[in-house]
Amino acid sequence: MRYALLFVMALPAFPQGSVARGDKLFAQGCAVGYCHGSGGTAARAQRLRGRTFDREYLIKVIRDGLPNTAMPAWGDRLTDPDIAALADYIQSLANASADVAAPVVVDAATPAAPDLGSATPPEHQRGRELFFDATREARCAACHRLNGIGAAVGPDLLKTGAIKISDGPRVIKYGRPRAVRTVVLKDGDKFPGVAVERNGTRYYDLSALPPVLRSLTQVDIQVVQRQTTWRHLTATRSYTVEDMQAVWNYVCWVAAKR
Amino acid sequence: MLRILAVLTMSLYAQNGATRDNWPHYGGQTSAWRYSALDQVNAANVSKLTTAWVFQSGEIDGGMQVTPIVVDGVMYVTTSKNNVFALDAATGRELWSYHYTLPKGFTVFYGPWNRGVAVADGRVFMGTLDNNLLALDAKNGRELWRVQNEDVNQCGCNITAAPLVVKGKVITGVTGGDSAHRGYINAFDARTGRNLWKFWTIPGPGEKGHETWSGDSWKHGGGSAWMTGSYDAELGLTYWSVGNPAADFWGGNRKGDNLYTDSVIALDIDTGKLKWYFQQVPHDVWDFDTAYENVLIDLPLNGRTRKLLLNVNKGGFTFVVDRTNGEFIAGWPLVKNLNWISGVNAKGELQGRNEPVVGKNKIICPSIGGGRSWNQGAWSPKTSMFYTTGIEWCEDVVAVPETPKEGQVYFGGTFKLTRKPMQGEAGGHLGAYDPISGKRAWLYEYKYPLLASVLATAGDVIFTGDAEGFFFALDAKTGNKLWSFQTGSGHRGGPITYAVNGRQYVATPSGWGSALAGLLPQIWPEAERFRAGAALFVFALPEGK
Repeated sequence: MRYALLFVMALPAFPQGSVARGDKLFAQGCAVGYCHGSGGTAARAQRLRGRTFDREYLIKVIRDGLPNTAMPAWGDRLTDPDIAALADYIQSLANASADVAAPVVVDAATPAAPDLGSATPPEHQRGRELFFDATREARCAACHRLNGIGAAVGPDLLKTGAIKISDGPRVIKYGRPRAVRTVVLKDGDKFPGVAVERNGTRYYDLSALPPVLRSLTQVDIQVVQRQTTWRHLTATRSYTVEDMQAVWNYVCWVAAKR
Repeated sequence: MLRILAVLTMSLYAQNGATRDNWPHYGGQTSAWRYSALDQVNAANVSKLTTAWVFQSGEIDGGMQVTPIVVDGVMYVTTSKNNVFALDAATGRELWSYHYTLPKGFTVFYGPWNRGVAVADGRVFMGTLDNNLLALDAKNGRELWRVQNEDVNQCGCNITAAPLVVKGKVITGVTGGDSAHRGYINAFDARTGRNLWKFWTIPGPGEKGHETWSGDSWKHGGGSAWMTGSYDAELGLTYWSVGNPAADFWGGNRKGDNLYTDSVIALDIDTGKLKWYFQQVPHDVWDFDTAYENVLIDLPLNGRTRKLLLNVNKGGFTFVVDRTNGEFIAGWPLVKNLNWISGVNAKGELQGRNEPVVGKNKIICPSIGGGRSWNQGAWSPKTSMFYTTGIEWCEDVVAVPETPKEGQVYFGGTFKLTRKPMQGEAGGHLGAYDPISGKRAWLYEYKYPLLASVLATAGDVIFTGDAEGFFFALDAKTGNKLWSFQTGSGHRGGPITYAVNGRQYVATPSGWGSALAGLLPQIWPEAERFRAGAALFVFALPEGK
C-alpha cells in the first residue's frame, strides 16, 4: 500500500496532454540558444532540466518575465492555458537526467503564439503597419511612442487633447508642432529641436531621422528661436493621403480603446 | 633606386595594420590584424611577465567580452549593461565612469554584454542594449548625444559590438539575425549624431538583389551586421560582414540566394553605397553567418601584390577575396568536423550542401556555435601567419517551418550539441595558418572551445585565454607554451598590448559568459560550474630590467 501511494505521488500531478503542449511551446520559444536550450539543458539562460521549481513561481515568471534580465514576459503572447502547459512541462523535467534526448520535432501545425499586433482589428491593421513601418525611416513611431513602441520625442498621442478626432489626417500632414524650436549653437550648427525638459539644455535634433538626443550645455547654445521652418510634412512625406487616413483611424481607435 | 623605394613603401604599408603605443580600434587598427609592432615583451622574456594592475568591473552578468581601447595613455573599457570606464593605462586609476540607465523593466535582448567602444576626436562611442548609439566626452564621460537606431521592442535587435569610427563617421550594425527583422548598417556624424547613410543588408523592392527573396520574406530576413567592420583608407571602402538569414534553420519561405546575408560587403565610406559583395553562403539554412572580422592584408600572389580580405565563416570555412573587387582568391577549412558542405569550387561556390530537414533529425558539423566563434584571430606580417581558434563539435538539428512575428525570435528549428563529434573528441584549438593555402604550421589543442580573441606581436608571442581562466602566451613560430597566468574566470574578451612612457603592457579581460559559453554544458556538464567574473588583468615586465 505504501509503495502504491508513493507510486501515485511520483506520478506527475498534471495532465500528460498539457506536458506535450508545453514541450512544443518550449521547443518553439524557450529552447533557442540564447535561452534555455533544447529540453531545458541550459544555454545562455539557466538550466531548467533536473531542477525543482514552485509552480506558482514558474507561472509568474513566464507571465511577467524577470526585469533587467533576458527573460521576457510572455503574458501578452501566450494564453493562460499555454503558460500553465509550459509550467507543467518544466516541472516534468525535475527528475530528468542532465542529458537530453534528440531535439523535439515540432509539428509544423502547432499554433504559433499570437503577435503583439493581433489585438488590432483587421480594419486597423494597415494603419498599424504604417505607423510602425520599419522599412521607412520617416515613420510615425520614429517620433511618437504608441503601445510601448517608438521614440517619445513628439507628444503622447493618447494624452487628452493631443489629437482631436475632428482634426482628421490633415493635421498630420500640415501640422506645425508648437514645441519645435530653432536651436542655434555657437559652433555655427543650427537645427530644429524639441526641448526634453523646461529650462533644460537637452534637445531632440530633428534635422535627420532618427532624431538625435543632444545633451548640450548653456555654453554650447547661442540662442533658441521660436520660429522654425520645420513642418510635420518634413517627416511624413513618404505617406500618401490614403496612408494618412489609415494611420489616423488607427490612432483614433487606440485612443478610443483607452 | 626605384626598386629600393618600392620595397620601402611596401614594407611601410605592410606595417600600417600594426598597432604601437595605442590600441585605437577594436581590431587594433581598422585592418583588424590584432597585431602589435611592440616587441619589448617577446618570446625570450614573456615568462617574466608580472601583474601591473587589475580592474574589477563589478558587473559579472554576461562575463567580460570587451576589447579595450587605449589612446594616449588612457584605456576605455566597457562592461555588461553598458557601463564605460576610463582608466589610467599605466596604473589602472579610474579617471571617470559612465553608467548607462536602461529603461525601467527592460527585457535584455539576447544578452547583457558589450564588446567595446570606439574612440576618436576626443569622443567615446558606444552602442547600447536598447539599441541606442551614444557619444561621450572622452575627457569626463559626459554624454553628448544619443540616437536610437530602432525600437528594440519592435525589431528584436540591439548593439553589442564596438562601433567603427573613421573619417568623422560612427558606423554600426545591429544584432537581430535570429529575429524576424531586416538588418542594416548605419553611419552617424561623430560630431552631431545625425544619420549620414543607411545600408539595408536586405535590398528592398526595386533594388538589385531584392529578387533573391521570395514573397515578403525580405521584411523579416535577418541579415544583421553584429560585429565591427574594417576600413581601407586608401580605397575609401568599409568592409562589413552580414550575418545569417532568418529563420536560421528553415528557408522554405525565403526561396532564393537571400542577398546580402552571409556576405562580405564593401561600402563607400562617404555614401554607404555598395561597391561589391561576396556571398559565402547563398540561402543559408545552418545559421553559418558571415559575421566575423574582415582582415585586410596585402600579399604577393603570382608575382604581384594583391589587396586581400580574409574572413572566417561561422561554418568553419575561411574565405579570401580581393578587397578591391570581391574576386574569390582562396578558401580552406579550419576544422576537421565539417559536413555541411564538401568544399568550394575554384569560384568559391559551395559544393555538396548537406541541409537540415523539416521534421527529421540530422547531424550537422560544426554545430550552430560555429567552427569558430566571433572571438577574432590575429595576423602577423612578421611570420606571415594567421592565428585563429577553431572548434570541433556537431549538433543534432531539426528544421521547423515557422511564421515570422516582427521582432520576435525566428529560428526555424531546434538543435542540441552532440557529445561525440564525427571525428576525434569535441574540443577547441588555436592554430597558425598560411592565409592562402590554409596550410597549418602548428596546432595548440584544448579540451574546451577557446572563446577569447587572439593577439599577435612583433615579439613573436601569441596571447589568448581559455575557458578555465588561464591567460597564456605561445611561441608564434612553434606554438609552444611560454607562459600562463590564472585569472580566476574564463576568457571571452580581446587581449591587447600597448605602451605608456616606453613600458609595454599586455591587458586581458577575464570573465566567463555569453550565449555560447551557456551552451557548453550540453557537451561538458562541468562547464555549468565555470565561475563568472568580470575583471581586467594588465601585465608588464618587472620595472628596471
